Amino acid sequence: MSDYVEPRYDEVNREILQTMQPSPQYWRLLGLSFAIAIVCFVGPWVYMMMVGIGPSGNNRNAVWSTYLANFIFWIGLSHSGTLLSAVLHITQSEWRKAIYRSAEAMTLFSLVTAALFIMVHVGRIWFVHWTVPIPNQMEMWPNFRSPLMFDVMAIATYLTASSIFIYMGSLPDFAAVRDASEGLRRKIYTIMCFGWRGTAKQWHTLHWAYTFFAVFIIPLAVSVHSIVSWDFALSIVPGMHQTIFAPYFVTGAIYSGTAGIVSVMYMLRKYMHLERYIRQIHVVNLGKLLIVLSLLWTYINILEVFTGWYSGTSFEYEQLKFKLFGFYAPLYWEMVTFCALVPLLIFFKRIRESWNMMFVISILVNIGMFTERFLIVATTQPRKFLPDAFGFYIPSIVEISIAIGSFAVFTTLFLIFVKVFPCVSIYEVKETLKPLRREVA
Amino acid sequence: MSTSIMALFEYEEDVISAARQLRKSGFDELSVMSPIPLHEAEEAVGLEKSPVRRFSLAGAIIGAISGFALATFSALTFILPTGGRAVVAVPPFLIIAYEMTILLGVLFTLVGFFIVARLPAWRDAAYRVESNIDLFSLVVNVVADGDRKEAEKIFRDAGAKEVSEEDKRI
Repeated sequence: MSDYVEPRYDEVNREILQTMQPSPQYWRLLGLSFAIAIVCFVGPWVYMMMVGIGPSGNNRNAVWSTYLANFIFWIGLSHSGTLLSAVLHITQSEWRKAIYRSAEAMTLFSLVTAALFIMVHVGRIWFVHWTVPIPNQMEMWPNFRSPLMFDVMAIATYLTASSIFIYMGSLPDFAAVRDASEGLRRKIYTIMCFGWRGTAKQWHTLHWAYTFFAVFIIPLAVSVHSIVSWDFALSIVPGMHQTIFAPYFVTGAIYSGTAGIVSVMYMLRKYMHLERYIRQIHVVNLGKLLIVLSLLWTYINILEVFTGWYSGTSFEYEQLKFKLFGFYAPLYWEMVTFCALVPLLIFFKRIRESWNMMFVISILVNIGMFTERFLIVATTQPRKFLPDAFGFYIPSIVEISIAIGSFAVFTTLFLIFVKVFPCVSIYEVKETLKPLRREVA
Repeated sequence: MSTSIMALFEYEEDVISAARQLRKSGFDELSVMSPIPLHEAEEAVGLEKSPVRRFSLAGAIIGAISGFALATFSALTFILPTGGRAVVAVPPFLIIAYEMTILLGVLFTLVGFFIVARLPAWRDAAYRVESNIDLFSLVVNVVADGDRKEAEKIFRDAGAKEVSEEDKRI
């Protein structure tokens, strides 16, 4: 953009901290999303706690329902934020700096939403602590040969590491909030920033620690979604029992996560007035990333179909036929359109430089990715082996309500984040500006 | 009686050259504060490789061992015989070890960060808000009157925007 004027250091502080003083519109949106979360998510969940998991649509053949589809979707959305941030930190990509904080927040809150779905899925949440390896009066210990236990360990680790990663990266900015505040707010941020003063020693140590966090998080993020895929792939159900599942899930996760970042950045840019920080370079680079991931995702999907086709077993073939041409075929082809064909538009420069177009594409990609996750659950279990194990699954109103409510849960958490954290990293944006050096001045 | 001298600088190279000059003149207790990380300043105050990396390594090793040990302990304490398969199954237990490697690696790095950076540091210390916005500050602890004058001279020669005596130390 030719009319772009680089902000001064003090303007960066002022403008980014300004986003933490939201408008009345913000409070209305927060109230609305909180209300939807209570009515659509918490209400039906409490109802299910009282009467059991009967109100959901799972049945004898389809023992897993959309709760797991939602779980994979939210875990998927969580990939990219922290993963992308860590990869771009290691590769010293400058453009990461304005967008990574919110992307990491997206990771964190998607993970929290995903973890909630496990609680919803298991039904009797008062037994959920049985999955944690702690001494108990029954002398019962978890079975670590099960992929479900891999999941517990992986998600707990990912949640811990992501929280630490975003918090540590925010320490200098909490200090900036402290310096600009008074009274109780100042006291709270003094505690939150641990007395950060930006000494050379503190920066030096933060840099080292942050790099190590990034190094740990990259293989962790890859492992998390691989493990989620093994929840399915380690069963013998046709359509799930495939070696391609781990890379398929990881690619899909990063794909939907990147699309999610585009959507979130669009909103932040527009409603938080961050046009000077979240710029065209970000949407263009994210667009390029999206197109690569889209092609990779398409390739893996073609492979998945070919695996079923060439398998030579009627079970795989039957499942594939059901997915491609059965009751849910329209959803399958919708997924192909939104995730494989629509993103091809990003090849056009005019489209990838347009925030509005990219926003629409990113939403369509995530609708497609949600469908993909739904199809994994809805088209495999009801087509197991012999026809007497064939069944049909359609989500119930309770499941649909909880799925809608989960978006409100995520939105509520993200809106709270925007109020508490500077949503763009102040000090890292400053690093991308002209340095305060005599020769530059 | 002041215990430290603080100078504010507008430019990176000024604060770095002042820090270098101070160290050359024998001042050891000094601190550079900046709104962004300054790698040259870190070198100027004598910081090299951070010991945080040792915490990361220790955490990763302890995590790997304890992850495998936890899975083995669980399997042996609550035996679940399944079709004659190994009770202590190495491949799945390696996944638990992998996750614990990362978990403890991250947690130890966090602890290492707090220890090495000496945080939390809620005590009152010499600090100016501007050094977290658009200026650089350099603080040096001084005891003798001669040191104070020498430090002031170094600051002014390096192009300090403002020099002040502080009653707080770094």
